[in-house]
Amino acid sequence: MRPSRPLRLVKSTPEPVTESGAELTAERNMLVRAARDGDVRAFAALVDAYYARCLRFALHMLSTRADAEEAVQDTFVRVYRALPRYEERQSFEPWLFRILANRCRSAGARERRRAEVVEYGDVPDRGVPATQHDSIAWREEIDIALGALPDDQREAFLMRHVEDLSYEDMSAATGAGISALKMRVKRACDYLRARLTEVT
Amino acid sequence: MDDRELGLDAVCAELRRLPDVDSAAKARVLIAVAAERARDRESAERRRAWSLRLRWMSGGAALVAAALLGVVFLRPTATATAPPVASAPVSPSAATQLASSDAGALEMAAQPVQFVFSAPSAANVRVVGDFNGWDNSKSPMVRDASSGLWSTTLLIRPGRYVYAFVVDDSVWRRDPRAVAAKDADFGRPGSVLLVGRPPVEGVR
Repeated sequence: MRPSRPLRLVKSTPEPVTESGAELTAERNMLVRAARDGDVRAFAALVDAYYARCLRFALHMLSTRADAEEAVQDTFVRVYRALPRYEERQSFEPWLFRILANRCRSAGARERRRAEVVEYGDVPDRGVPATQHDSIAWREEIDIALGALPDDQREAFLMRHVEDLSYEDMSAATGAGISALKMRVKRACDYLRARLTEVT
Repeated sequence: MDDRELGLDAVCAELRRLPDVDSAAKARVLIAVAAERARDRESAERRRAWSLRLRWMSGGAALVAAALLGVVFLRPTATATAPPVASAPVSPSAATQLASSDAGALEMAAQPVQFVFSAPSAANVRVVGDFNGWDNSKSPMVRDASSGLWSTTLLIRPGRYVYAFVVDDSVWRRDPRAVAAKDADFGRPGSVLLVGRPPVEGVR
């Protein structure tokens, strides 16, 4: 059974920008180089820098937090193992997301997510204020719509619109061609827009 | 196609919110990577030991061959009876190594080492280090109810090790009663443990 709550747009606060993109990229590249040369502190700093983003991606791709955390942990172990083979001409982010996306794919998340969709009508009242109710309902609608997307479309949509990867980087991360990725993103957007009827 | 114009800004903004990060989960990542690193070191050590052993063996074989050749060259009539291997010249260092191999075997025997850590309010404490592959599940410690001290005794072979305590699966602490390791893994604090005769490099 689907809830009959009206959907409301909730504008999220943008993430604070403290450093310019170029400075941040230069700093991260330095960390990657140092980590590849065996500096374990640099590797720890990379984990600090990317953990939350990786977890965000994994949470959108997998159905439970435990699975997402496990996928992220496994991703960083694989990154550590593969770092000696990392070539600087590659960008680190697409490389990291390729490993993470592979790990998420192999977790077989889709079936678990479908199972959650079936049980949606049983979501308990969480006892929160009305405004938060709307916010939670909105978020749940997004999660359900996202979960209904085919894996490749969801992955492409998240990489493009949530992780802000360029199509070139997405191509490096997924191995798919740019045209195919654009088509996946378009289909995902069309579906989400149709599904999430926005009520202001 | 400019897919920024697809009217999903609010959806994307919602999805871009970063999740709350569980510090224990993040600590587990570093512990898992540290374990991986310890395994790498261990296999590198094993490879180095094998290569040393092979070098000794090939060196010994060369010496024996040289001795045989010498005998053949000086006394061609004695080729039918091989000279005793013991008569082959052996380098002093190799001789010392051979003579001390038994003592070395004894020295390599694992020794009991007790770890003690004070954390009266902790739910669990584990010791992790080079000696257990930084595996958080291998060496849980036992709490003494009256003192709040956690302890465990492990059998460890002689050598230099870096170790730490993991409190409640998330907080990494060095041993306050031991020498701090300069090469603390992953920026986390560690302590140095020397078991038996310290290696040549000594404490770093």
